[in-house]
Amino acid sequence: MRYYLNLIRQFIQASFQQELAYRSNFLIGLLHSLLSLGTGVLSLAVLFEQVESIQGWEFAATLAVLGVFMTVGALQNLFISPSLESLAGIGGDVLSGQLDFTLLRPVNKQFLVSFRRWQPFALIDLALGLGVLVVAITRMGSSVTSTGLITFVVLLASGMVVLYAILLAFTAMVFWSPGFLFTWVFSGVFQMARYPLGLYPGWLRLVLTWIIPVGLITTVPVQALTGDLEPAMLGGSLALAAGLLIAASWLFRVGLQRYASASS
Amino acid sequence: MTQAQIDVRHLSKTYRVPERQPGLAASLRSLVRPTHTDVPAVQDISFRVEAGEIVGFIGPNGAGKTTTLKMLAGLLYPTGGEATVACCTPWERQPAYLRQISMVMGNKSQMLWDIPPLDSFRVLAEIYRLPAHEFHATLDLLVDLLDMNELLTKPVRNLSLGERMKCEMVAALLHRPAVLFLDEPTLGLDVSTQRRLRRFVREYNQQTGATIILTSHYMADVVELCPRVILIHHGSLLYDGALGGLVERLAPFKLIRLTINPENSNGAVDRALTDEIDVLEREAGRLVLRTARSATPAITARLLSTLPVLDLAVEDPPIEAVIDQIYQEGNV
Repeated sequence: MRYYLNLIRQFIQASFQQELAYRSNFLIGLLHSLLSLGTGVLSLAVLFEQVESIQGWEFAATLAVLGVFMTVGALQNLFISPSLESLAGIGGDVLSGQLDFTLLRPVNKQFLVSFRRWQPFALIDLALGLGVLVVAITRMGSSVTSTGLITFVVLLASGMVVLYAILLAFTAMVFWSPGFLFTWVFSGVFQMARYPLGLYPGWLRLVLTWIIPVGLITTVPVQALTGDLEPAMLGGSLALAAGLLIAASWLFRVGLQRYASASS
Repeated sequence: MTQAQIDVRHLSKTYRVPERQPGLAASLRSLVRPTHTDVPAVQDISFRVEAGEIVGFIGPNGAGKTTTLKMLAGLLYPTGGEATVACCTPWERQPAYLRQISMVMGNKSQMLWDIPPLDSFRVLAEIYRLPAHEFHATLDLLVDLLDMNELLTKPVRNLSLGERMKCEMVAALLHRPAVLFLDEPTLGLDVSTQRRLRRFVREYNQQTGATIILTSHYMADVVELCPRVILIHHGSLLYDGALGGLVERLAPFKLIRLTINPENSNGAVDRALTDEIDVLEREAGRLVLRTARSATPAITARLLSTLPVLDLAVEDPPIEAVIDQIYQEGNV
């Protein structure tokens, strides 16, 4: 375990060094983060000027969902996406044969592929996301219990696992079609997790909870804060996260066996 | 029989590749119903390499050298046969195995592009769990052998191809692998850098006793480094033995370079050039002749006694010519 933590530290250090070589990227990253924060919060504020609540969701709770969405998205952009996405596409490791060097390392391949690249600018997004989350929880006030808060943190972690597993599974497709980046399919759907699931019609809610479970990532943790979470939902979320992680890891292993390197 | 460091038994690899006819209509057809063909890259290859040997893998482009090397490094699964390298099956990719081997590819880089090599080396030291003192000792040794101290702190993207290849060598050898696969390590390098790398490979082999398999299209690499060569053509093993033996088998002739006093010797030369001698070059007193290996001593003696010889040298044909002959004809 200590070995893997040390490795992560080394990867972070090397990635940060690489990214900081390009100063203009930092400014563009900052601008992008502030823009997406502004539009996200502003649109909610405008909406809740008109109404007190939508389908039982009040401003503070809806803001919390946005906060979770931003936090999870920031963590995704911090390491999951940069690491996984470098496998796919025309210049990707699979098509170019650069994956050879990953396979030569005496380390768990899934670990290497998932943690080797970090994007330091995502830390700005992370700070903003956590900021929105803190503001939202403060606005919810005394209705948030300590049990609710702990359950929220557990569900947030399991939501991250769900997100990671889905992205890993989509990335594993690269071994069947190396030139194509599959994760964008998911990225499109993930945008729906910006708002509480309760705002969507019943059938879509079911799909977004159990089929493409983006709801599990943002709405369900916030339900733990508002006290609307059923115990069965907690168990179901954790079980689904574990199941998805096992299935995605299996798919990645099978895919890896198809890797044919690049000619000479 | 003792366990060899590398033991390859009936190894085969067939690639399944999509078949595409030219033209838009054919492209659309293959979208609906893709067709594949099987391309045998390596067919039933067997050989053994003892610990500490340097073996040269030669063969034309597409012969199956890199595919074989990649199977031995555990990067590819074979379609048939078995291999044991350092007591492990390569494609199981056990960490204990991967810690014992390394691979350098002339056309790929494992360095992190935007940061100095030293930082890439540190990441590798962590991956291979090298204790700090061991890492520094090995790094000092390698940097010394390659004379590249000043490169350690420059970003990799600012290095020349030759400088980068030195870094690739260090990156591959930091964990002191017992088996090293070098896939065209001198590709595109200038003559002096090639020589420097060759000397380095030999010194590394002598100092550590590492087993090395090298592929290269530069015969100088093979001649200087590899007492033994394995020749692969169309995926099959054609020859396994000393390089000299290959030349003897393939080129059963010698070259005689002759310089004679040009005055009044034309008639004598014409008489001396019998049917068993091929004249490759002839100009004003200088001749290059080709003769059967077995007949060479007698012919040389006759030339010396009948012609006003100023200088005479007997040589083997150039190795490039011999190799070209095999690549063209496809047999030994």
